[in-house]
Amino acid sequence: MTLPARLLDSIASAAVREGLADAIYTHLETPIGKLLIVQGERGVVRVGFPGERVDALLAQVAAHLGPRIVASDRELSDTRDALSAYFEGIDERLDLPVDLSLVRSDLRRMALTVLRDEVGPGHVVTYGALAAKVGHPKAARAIGTACATNPVPIIVPCHRVLPGSGGVGSYGGGPEVKRLLLAHEGATVG
Amino acid sequence: MSAVTLPPFWSLVEAHGDELLVHARRMTGDSNGEDVLQDALLRALRAYPRLRHAEHLRAWLYRVTTTTALDHIRARRREVLTDEPPARAAEPEHYDDAFESLIGELPDGTQAALRLRFVEDLDYEGIAARLGCSAVAARQRVSTAIRTLRTQGIPA
Repeated sequence: MTLPARLLDSIASAAVREGLADAIYTHLETPIGKLLIVQGERGVVRVGFPGERVDALLAQVAAHLGPRIVASDRELSDTRDALSAYFEGIDERLDLPVDLSLVRSDLRRMALTVLRDEVGPGHVVTYGALAAKVGHPKAARAIGTACATNPVPIIVPCHRVLPGSGGVGSYGGGPEVKRLLLAHEGATVG
Repeated sequence: MSAVTLPPFWSLVEAHGDELLVHARRMTGDSNGEDVLQDALLRALRAYPRLRHAEHLRAWLYRVTTTTALDHIRARRREVLTDEPPARAAEPEHYDDAFESLIGELPDGTQAALRLRFVEDLDYEGIAARLGCSAVAARQRVSTAIRTLRTQGIPA
């Protein structure tokens, strides 16, 4: 596309100002590659890793929040700044509003919320221990699914959840990325 | 949220924004094309969740852009020539109706060419086949019609 960036920015900002945008998205360059960030009225609703298909992710968001989706770096500058601060090691809290409406069950939503609230940067937890924190100590497998289908990775820190049997386990962005994020936060992985 | 599955709006902007800007510039003169496109895309965004189907979205965007461009031309002419009350504040709910009323005064053959281009979204080859003329003639007919709308025959 060759439309002037300033014109696209202006259209997107006007749309946001008039309340016409169901969601806004931006691409952010990070040490783990280019992330897609999609934000709705209530918070960040989707974070996509470099290998994921942007059109499929946006269609998924459109199905839940509505099709009026626009792109704007400017309108998401707070979110971009917070993620950049995380990757630069300036502030690892990622204190951003999230919207878990893409999560398909209440148990999964609860697990991700507890994870975000209770397992901070530099800490890790096993799937079993997270299941216990949620009050379903036998639901480690379900907790694993909740992490595997986490729509807002990095901000909801499923990279801090590890298998009880050792190692880093699997990760949507790949195990290497998981290891990198944990090292970045100063967590020790056995 | 709409009942039909519509693509994320920005994917339409990415796919068709360039040609819509060319169209807006052609209709209103280079300097106003960007204003017209911005206005048109915001109008389209307002109407988008109410669309009843997800077909011919490119042609729909062309119609919204055409209507917006003609509104801009009309508003400008009022400013320059008359002290009539300002243009209606309310937007037409259905751009198809607005489009029909805009082209209603034109000769039938011209209307047909404009509909084939902007309602059915045909290229000039396709229009030529339907009208039984050459692609060059089809292009000429559409651009003459747009020029006519721009310079004189715009119904109030």
